[in-house]
Amino acid sequence: MSAGFALPASRLPRLASAMDDRWLLNACLWLPLAALLLFFVMPMGFIAWRSFMQEAGGIGLANYAALLDTPGVWRATRNSLAVGASTTLVTLLLGFVFAYGLERTCMPGRRFVSLSLTLPMLAPSLVLGLGLIFILGRNGIVGKVFGFRPEIYGFHGLVIANVLYALPQAVMILRAALRGADARQYDAAEVLGATPWRQFRDITLPGMRYGLLSAAFVVFTITITDFGNAVVIGGDYTVLATEIYNQVSGQMRFGIGAVVGLLLLLPAALSVWIERVAAQRQAGSGADGAQAPVPQPHRLRDGIYAIVCVGLSTLIVAVVAIVVVAGFIRLWPYRLDLTLRHYDITVSGGYASLWTALWVSLLAATLGVALLFLMAFAVRRLTGWPQRLATLLCALPVGVPGLVLGLSYVFAFNQPQLPWGVLYGSAFLLAMCNLMHYYTQGYVTMMTGVRGVPVQLEEAVGVLGGGVLQLLRDVYLPAVRVTLWSVAAFLFMRSMVTLSAVIFLITPMLSMAAVTVMRLDEAGFTAQAAAFSTCIMAVVGSVALLMHVLTTRAAARG
Amino acid sequence: MSLDIRNLHKNFAGQVALDRINLRIEASEFVCLLGPSGCGKTTLLRCIAGLLAPDRGEIRLAGRDLAAVPARERGFGIVFQSYSLFPHMTVAENIGYGLRIRGAESSRIAARVRELLDTVKLASYAERYPGQLSGGQQQRVAIARALAVDPQLLLLDEPLSALDARVRDELRGELRDVQRSLGIPTLMVTHDQDEAMVLADRIVCMNRGLIEQVGPPEELYARPRTRFVADFMGHGNLLSVDWLQDAAPWLLDTRPAGISDAGAVCLRPEHVGLQCDALGEGQVTDFTFMGNFKRVQLDWKGRNLLAEVPARTRFERGDRVRVDIDARDCAWVEA
Ligand SMILES: Nc1ncnc2c1ncn2[C@@H]1O[C@H](COP(=O)(O)OP(=O)(O)OP(=O)(O)O)[C@@H](O)[C@H]1O
Ligand SMILES: [Mg+2]
Repeated sequence: MSAGFALPASRLPRLASAMDDRWLLNACLWLPLAALLLFFVMPMGFIAWRSFMQEAGGIGLANYAALLDTPGVWRATRNSLAVGASTTLVTLLLGFVFAYGLERTCMPGRRFVSLSLTLPMLAPSLVLGLGLIFILGRNGIVGKVFGFRPEIYGFHGLVIANVLYALPQAVMILRAALRGADARQYDAAEVLGATPWRQFRDITLPGMRYGLLSAAFVVFTITITDFGNAVVIGGDYTVLATEIYNQVSGQMRFGIGAVVGLLLLLPAALSVWIERVAAQRQAGSGADGAQAPVPQPHRLRDGIYAIVCVGLSTLIVAVVAIVVVAGFIRLWPYRLDLTLRHYDITVSGGYASLWTALWVSLLAATLGVALLFLMAFAVRRLTGWPQRLATLLCALPVGVPGLVLGLSYVFAFNQPQLPWGVLYGSAFLLAMCNLMHYYTQGYVTMMTGVRGVPVQLEEAVGVLGGGVLQLLRDVYLPAVRVTLWSVAAFLFMRSMVTLSAVIFLITPMLSMAAVTVMRLDEAGFTAQAAAFSTCIMAVVGSVALLMHVLTTRAAARG
Repeated sequence: MSLDIRNLHKNFAGQVALDRINLRIEASEFVCLLGPSGCGKTTLLRCIAGLLAPDRGEIRLAGRDLAAVPARERGFGIVFQSYSLFPHMTVAENIGYGLRIRGAESSRIAARVRELLDTVKLASYAERYPGQLSGGQQQRVAIARALAVDPQLLLLDEPLSALDARVRDELRGELRDVQRSLGIPTLMVTHDQDEAMVLADRIVCMNRGLIEQVGPPEELYARPRTRFVADFMGHGNLLSVDWLQDAAPWLLDTRPAGISDAGAVCLRPEHVGLQCDALGEGQVTDFTFMGNFKRVQLDWKGRNLLAEVPARTRFERGDRVRVDIDARDCAWVEA
């Protein structure tokens, strides 16, 4: 292992010929940087500004004061905190069991479990709420068969739906944390006399501290800013996400919306900060050459984990599957003959929003890949303050929940008197909003791909007299091809299913697919909502499958 | 306190990793396990530590069979190549970990930790985390942690190979000093024969799961018993029986009973005597300056021969030389 001190990223030797086309390199940085400034920094500035702009005119803290005597907001906050805390607790517990089961046991059914965990990512979050209602709701299968109708609308339903939605992300973080440990730490502890319980307490748990903390914040943020489930299964139990939407879109109380939006930045910002600290801590323990502990079979333990994990996975699959099935049933759960008539959707704008979503998602993926690629390339090649500014800005969007981002777009772009006001109500703006929503994740992936380009190759191009253009075309583009595809697929898939940001930006003329599902459900067309969700899942699922085939092929080719 | 290993076997999915291993480590002896990558060194070490169960054979410590004793009750110390420090514990906590598990009083732990920090020359690093140490310092901490519990046996798996050459040399000396002064029987795995020769009282040379030869470093170097050991322990010329019959029949007289025609003579290059002689049968084809000596390639009686001569000896390519070989410097090796 090399010395534990974190070394500054080594500066690449500057190419002789690169001096001539430095402007090109700078353009590579400034184009995406300008997009980031216009579509991320500026809206965030607007939301901060609006929180101080008093409704009675003038600048001050009136909005913050008004918050204190808006009882609806307070009740919603209390409810959101209750749902958030419960969801976080349950998700962490289950997430830990899942992560530990997948990484450290030989339980059977691991493939099924990890596959089932990808399902909730392929659908709008509210599909889980929808599925729960088909099972446990007023007209649920459980109620019909057993005559037992639990109170699913409200707190309990929200918690269950949110747990199912957040679980995959928690498991992902916790698995990564478990993978950070090294088998030799356990061997050393064993030889020093530590019992298995002691090893768990002294090595496994401390190693997961940051993982657990970061998962907790991520889950909490997802939960309190999720919009879809709050509408579908929340019932009369108002939460922050819906309350803000009402305040802003219903009552036009923009100031209050801005204040709450700013407050919602706190937990997410904390989680980003924790992740950074954790990354620095881990840098010391050295990643390459580490050996993950190899689990040894253990009948009892493996059995227990299998029962819990496979059981819960089956529940996840069932909840999603029931939505697909219900879309084909004449009258769930009373007349169970198959029909396609729910696919004939004419209310709530019909399938127009699906095509819009496709178009917006394609746009977000294409623009995103182009901007992120240029950004990653420029950040790697350049030095100096613009590069540092770009690096910093690229890390920020992940700390902004979709709800807050959507709000900020309303403030920044619903401004006919300003030049960029023309963008409001355009597919382009929706695409940029979705891109910014998932910017950081895309950037991190892109950066990992770009870092894999060997320096020697760059130098060879330089020595042969190539400039920035040749470098991009002959070295970088071919080397990061697979990365480009996976970033595009990621942006496309998220863009297809996200709701919390775009809910503020849709107009009667321009709606997104996930919004339509919500509207259909609100209007009582649950079967149509299920059918529409199935269409979305079919599109997203195909892209995911395609990506899987593509990446495994590329991996096989080396 | 001696360790006795009898007839140890280990298979991994039908593939032999350890085969008929017999070995005894005496009290306060430093034994090096030497062999190429994949020959089973780590496997043997892990079997001894109790981290891996052998398929057959027994391991005894001072006469007591260890088969039923789990690793955590054997009371050994172990040091790995790297990555084995607990990253969230300070240096002091790492070193004191074994004692804490044994329920020692905190004052005693603190005293012992301080003592060991002095031994490994890290007195001022007690409160650092492993991530804040260099590779060499981390290995010092790992050694101190293993020593803290007064182990009955110290097991080292390539503890120095991840370090750069200078640090490695330094730590090598310290390791030897500490082991001498504490008198703990030690088994160290390495694939570097220089390291084994510097450190070991005895070297165990392994190949493909088998022990090829055990003995003091000088013996393995000067009197290798197999071609593999002859090759692995340094440069040399292996002279086949066929060739000897034509070129140097007098050496055949020294062949001991039991060495077949497939055997050979191992002749270390420094034992090849060279004399400039216009009528000599050897001819210099190439040479390399190595600092304190010259390595010379010769053509001699139809084969290539490697010799080492003092650096000041003057040769040119194409010079004719007389070659002298003393039968006493030759070791017969099996096929
Ligand atoms: N857990 C395992 N499962 C299967 N095969 C193994 C396992 N551990 C070791 N082996 C195999 O057993 C043989 C001996 O491995 P071992 O790790 O003991 O080698 P080594 O001498 O320590 O090598 P190195 O110098 O590279 O560390 C190798 O062929 C290896 O592939
Ligand atoms: Mg090894």
